[in-house]
Amino acid sequence: MLLNYFKIALAVLKRRKFFTFISLFGISFTLTILLVMTAFIAKIIGDNYPDKKRSRSLYINNIEERGKESMQSGLLSFYFLDHYVRSLKTPVKVAISSGFNGTNTYVNNKKIALNYKYTNADFWEVLDHEFLEGKPFTAQQIANGELVTVISEDIKKSYFGNIGSVVGKYIEADNVQYRVCGVVKNVPITLYMIYSDIYLPYTVSKIDYKGTGYQGNYTGILLAKSKADIPAIQKEYDAMIAKLPMQSKKFTKIYSHADTFIRGYVRTGNEENSGVTIALLALGIFVLIILALPTLNLVNINITRIMERSSEIGVRKAFGASSSILVYQFIVENLILTIIGGLIGLVMTAIIIYFINQADLIAYLKLSINYKVLGIGLLTCLVFGLLSGVYPAWRMSRLNVVNALKAQ
Amino acid sequence: MVKHLFTLIWNKKKQNALLLAEMLISFLVLFAVFSLLVYFFRNYKKPMGLDYDDVWVITYSQTNTNTSSDSLVQFYQTVKQNLLSLPQVKSVSLSSANFPFSNSHMQNGIIHNNKNIGSINTFDTEDSYASILNLKLVEGRWFNAADITYKNRPVVINESLRAEFFGTGKAVGELMGDGKEEDKRKIIGVVKDAKMQGEYTNPGYAMYQRVDTGGIKWIGHMLLKVAPGADAAFEAKLYKNLANSMKSANVEIDRLGNKLKSANNFALVPMIVLSIICTFLIVNVALGLFGVLWYNINKRRGEIGLRRAVGASGQSISVQLVTESILLASLAVIIGSFFAIQFPLLNVFDLPAGIYLTALLLAIIFVYVLVLVCSLYPGRQAAAIYPAAALHEE
Repeated sequence: MLLNYFKIALAVLKRRKFFTFISLFGISFTLTILLVMTAFIAKIIGDNYPDKKRSRSLYINNIEERGKESMQSGLLSFYFLDHYVRSLKTPVKVAISSGFNGTNTYVNNKKIALNYKYTNADFWEVLDHEFLEGKPFTAQQIANGELVTVISEDIKKSYFGNIGSVVGKYIEADNVQYRVCGVVKNVPITLYMIYSDIYLPYTVSKIDYKGTGYQGNYTGILLAKSKADIPAIQKEYDAMIAKLPMQSKKFTKIYSHADTFIRGYVRTGNEENSGVTIALLALGIFVLIILALPTLNLVNINITRIMERSSEIGVRKAFGASSSILVYQFIVENLILTIIGGLIGLVMTAIIIYFINQADLIAYLKLSINYKVLGIGLLTCLVFGLLSGVYPAWRMSRLNVVNALKAQ
Repeated sequence: MVKHLFTLIWNKKKQNALLLAEMLISFLVLFAVFSLLVYFFRNYKKPMGLDYDDVWVITYSQTNTNTSSDSLVQFYQTVKQNLLSLPQVKSVSLSSANFPFSNSHMQNGIIHNNKNIGSINTFDTEDSYASILNLKLVEGRWFNAADITYKNRPVVINESLRAEFFGTGKAVGELMGDGKEEDKRKIIGVVKDAKMQGEYTNPGYAMYQRVDTGGIKWIGHMLLKVAPGADAAFEAKLYKNLANSMKSANVEIDRLGNKLKSANNFALVPMIVLSIICTFLIVNVALGLFGVLWYNINKRRGEIGLRRAVGASGQSISVQLVTESILLASLAVIIGSFFAIQFPLLNVFDLPAGIYLTALLLAIIFVYVLVLVCSLYPGRQAAAIYPAAALHEE
């Protein structure tokens, strides 16, 4: 039966090539846009290098002090994370790292702009950076204030050129010679809490990390023993924040959250409105419009095409085919059309992603078509096919037999 | 005639409702994209108002927030002397984080003459700042060493802010603000609007003030005017010089030209992506419209044949069909305009109404052109129908 439908569908597609072209163009292009967008989102939110333990991690990247007339919000101080957050009972480990800042280094009169980040030892335990050579710096090295660094493969290439192992060699940044102790695979800049070109022990930071204010230049990642511990940690964190002493008379309330990855990622740093809703709303409206136009277009085209087949429908009805069978047939036909369009869209997506990767728009961000993107593409195809197929099919099934045959 | 056409449209309301919806959504998408394009284009047409060639920016981490202001002033004097001793360095000025193309904003609100402006970009500068960026003074003067003592803090404002607060009246020498007498600011000069955040951004309102001893500890940037042809070798030398005189800071050097590129991309990339998507959507809609109209005309051969038989010219047939489509488009435009006109009325996103109205006009023209192009060919086809053949088929 399905095979028959398939044959009929192909025959119909060949009948009016111009209409077929319009339908396929609409479907494939819409899908391309959605797939490229999905690839971006999947890469930014779905790719879990180097935080492979994302499901049992909580992210802290903001503290806000609010009073009647004043408000101060930003990253946290090292002291706050080290003193208050590390004293929590439930988390197994707390990774502490600074935001990334830029500096320059010069090799043979060639400038290299690089971003550096200060971290503690747990940072390397909580995150699973892939070490191409060497290993991370240890707690002991940090305590001794040794000038050691972990660098990214990209910096290795631009600073040392294409040579073998660079462990033990020195890299100059900020007029200081650091000994390389490890080289890691690049992290995309979109993971702003983890990304850096070179990682340094926090004790060699030129910025005073002993100050006891709450705000500073650091973020934290809490690691839970298991996924089940996450709510308990959040509870404990909130209780700790609630008990914090105010640092100034100006402020009456302190907000800070240990968020799961997505929530932490889109948090705008404003307590009054969460970033999640805004981000989702904007994305939703965009997708809706992108989908609505081609769908309407398809519905229009499908209706005209169905009416062309009124004689075929009349004959089938006259011989006793029920409306539901006809509707089913037409929806299947439409799904076949959308899936063909989807395949074309997939090819176009692959081409576009190739060019985006070639252009290197965002540092270290390499897009790829993975099974997630494919799955979403397939799902969109189905939704698309159903949306644009149901109404015309319903119109068709209500055709009166006599009229349908008379039209010839 | 029009009334009769409405009847024809009404008779096929189901089919036309879908076409109408499609035109309406296209219209709204066009309106949104045109609004953005018009906004960027208008900004692009405004003069830059500043020079960025051979201007470098130095970013350093402030690590000396514990030292007293006076010793900090001394410290900066030494740093600047060291920099100026290099032959390629023409002049140096401290700057707040919102130096040109930095993508960082610092805004203040001021109420003056019962006018409240909440978004005045405030720049911390020094005496050489204006000459480094070549800001053009229109009235009054820029800061000098005499401004270190004052009763009311001296400021230089841009022309937009001047027009808003003082109209065509006198501005230089006036006080600005409505708070306590000592909180008011004294205007000493007016400069031309400068696009401080990139070529596609709006200059907005701006107020420049001199870094004072209280604020100096929060400063983390310097602007440098260098001699033309300063290269990477010199940059490395400059870097060493800085690292020696600011031992406890992390230093980064960048060129304003590079910063401008990324600031422009910030506006251009979304614009290009949106335009591409919009183009595809519109092509898609055009093809769909064309297909549907063409098909409809083929279905109405009988009706058209009859009209030809009783003496209508081919010309009037095609006019009828094109007018039908245009009427349908007009309905979509009227409904769409009702939504679009809310934007300037409600002052959404604080954009000038002119932008929305221009975008509205463009969108209307575009939709009409689109519909016209899509219905002309099918209309001409219909005009070519022979009445005998058409009626014979019936």
